[in-house]
Amino acid sequence: MSRPPRRPSAERRPAAGVALYHARRYLWSTRRDAYVTFLSATAAGGMALGVAALILSLAMLSGLQQALKGEILARTPEIRVTLPPDADPAAARRSVAAVAGVREARLAAGGRGWAVAGGRARPVELAGFDGPVPETFPGAAGGRPGLYVSERLAGLWALEPGDLVELASSRPALSPFGPLPTVRRLRLAGVFDAGRTELEERVALPLADARELLGDRELTLLVSAGGLQRARRLAPAVSQALPAGARVETWQDINRALFFALRLEKTLLFLAVLLIVVVAGLALVADLSLIIASKRPELGMLGAMGATPRTLRRVFLWLGGLLVAIGGGCGVALGTAGAWLLDRWRVLRLGEAFFIDYVPFTLRPADLAAVVAAVTLLTLLCAGWAARRAAALSPVEALRR
Amino acid sequence: MSVTVRARGLTKSYLDGARRTEVLRGVDLEVEPGEMVAVVGPSGAGKSTLLHLLGGLDVADGGEVEIAGRRLDGLGPAELAAFRNETIGFVFQFQELLPDFTSIENVMMPGRIAGMPVDELRRRATELLAEVELGDRLDRFPTQLSGGERQRVALCRALVLEPPLLLADEPTGNLDPRAGERVFELMQRLQQSRGTTALMVTHNPELAARCARLLRLEGGVLEPPGR
Repeated sequence: MSRPPRRPSAERRPAAGVALYHARRYLWSTRRDAYVTFLSATAAGGMALGVAALILSLAMLSGLQQALKGEILARTPEIRVTLPPDADPAAARRSVAAVAGVREARLAAGGRGWAVAGGRARPVELAGFDGPVPETFPGAAGGRPGLYVSERLAGLWALEPGDLVELASSRPALSPFGPLPTVRRLRLAGVFDAGRTELEERVALPLADARELLGDRELTLLVSAGGLQRARRLAPAVSQALPAGARVETWQDINRALFFALRLEKTLLFLAVLLIVVVAGLALVADLSLIIASKRPELGMLGAMGATPRTLRRVFLWLGGLLVAIGGGCGVALGTAGAWLLDRWRVLRLGEAFFIDYVPFTLRPADLAAVVAAVTLLTLLCAGWAARRAAALSPVEALRR
Repeated sequence: MSVTVRARGLTKSYLDGARRTEVLRGVDLEVEPGEMVAVVGPSGAGKSTLLHLLGGLDVADGGEVEIAGRRLDGLGPAELAAFRNETIGFVFQFQELLPDFTSIENVMMPGRIAGMPVDELRRRATELLAEVELGDRLDRFPTQLSGGERQRVALCRALVLEPPLLLADEPTGNLDPRAGERVFELMQRLQQSRGTTALMVTHNPELAARCARLLRLEGGVLEPPGR
């Protein structure tokens, strides 16, 4: 009487368990083979190096970019409105100030001009403001209306509060002697911190004087929402409160080109450093291929015992995954600890020529996630490619001596 | 627990350079449930090839294999693997134990592939190894065992899931006569106690004569015709 065998049911086999079981054993057993050990160490070590390099370089760039953005955004209005020529500036200011969420709306005028003092002249960016000094002039924000120059210019020209400074604009004023530049003489009220990123010299002055110098064509409305993200959300409402033809720009719009360049810089750096991980991935392919070749009879026997091609493929996917987890884990630890130490102890010092004194390292979770995702994807590709060979082995060919 | 094994018109050839060598030229075979059949023949006669085809490890050029009424030629690689796991136990000449695993782990392996509970598997493997007098070698690695001991472990591994069919390819071919005799006796005892259908390829005429039936593979065909 013959007993009918149970129906083959490859689908219900828990291949992952036995695959991981084998992978863990192979991970330690391959240490007996010096060449395989060397290749495994190269793959895991390369992965550690690549991951650490990725984390450190991204943290460095994030730190630098964050510092740069901080410097620039401190001098950028949250929302800037350029009014149409026929608009009533005072009415527009009142409309915007009435928008829910707007903390402050003030008129401003800006344009090119010259500062002259003690027989010296210098081209400057004239920034007229209404009321107290705005926050875009750090160090003088909230100060009484008056003329403010940068600490750098004040130091260079040995200016003290109360000194007279002449400001001239390119807008000509007609006189019996023909067109003459418009000039205003103002007493210096104070100085502001221009930081190290401002290449162009700015001068803050009361709005009335700025309008005298520049006229009303350069009039803008500066809106504060009490935060960068709030400003982004508030911009559409501000736009709706204004007459047609008004142009509303957030801090993002104003710095769009710079932010794009920073993003591009980070992406390119990520891809360049990722090449180290790619090389480690190739070492992983070589390592797994060698292990598969050295274990051919065993793989044949596993096939004879009923291991499916899928199980055999998973064995080497797991093995690759474990090697990368060890290498990548070390890399994450090394990179994270390195970034923290370099930032904590300000190891990389910069000279006065730079806008900051040291290289800051900021490890962002999104960057870490991108590194882990890229390494995982690369591992799947490399280990998967090598593991295909194990799955394609015919048991009888593998068993043949 | 046994099955009927049937093969009809099995043909198999290999490419040897530019020349095609026909190894099997229409083999017909039928093995009754619980029967132990020996296949003998000169080297290169195709004995191992026949065993591989019956075990679903290789694919025939022509003909069909049917085990317990199920034709193997209709099964895909994954289904064949599952079928082997559930139905067939293999013993090879060179043992092919997994060197990274201990004796008991080797014996448990088919069960682990099948996803059986580890505790149950360990109990079965321990009993089987004790039955072949290897109860004190459970945690030894293959390199720490003699050839005869390794073959006994391989035998336990082939039978741990109590498959209805045992296929043995020169199971004593790599052992000294005494160890070979011991392995054969154990194999026969376990086969008979479990009623397993068994097919053994061997060069040893004495061992072959002790099987229920003896077949000779020569010139690509079985003599006498397999029943």
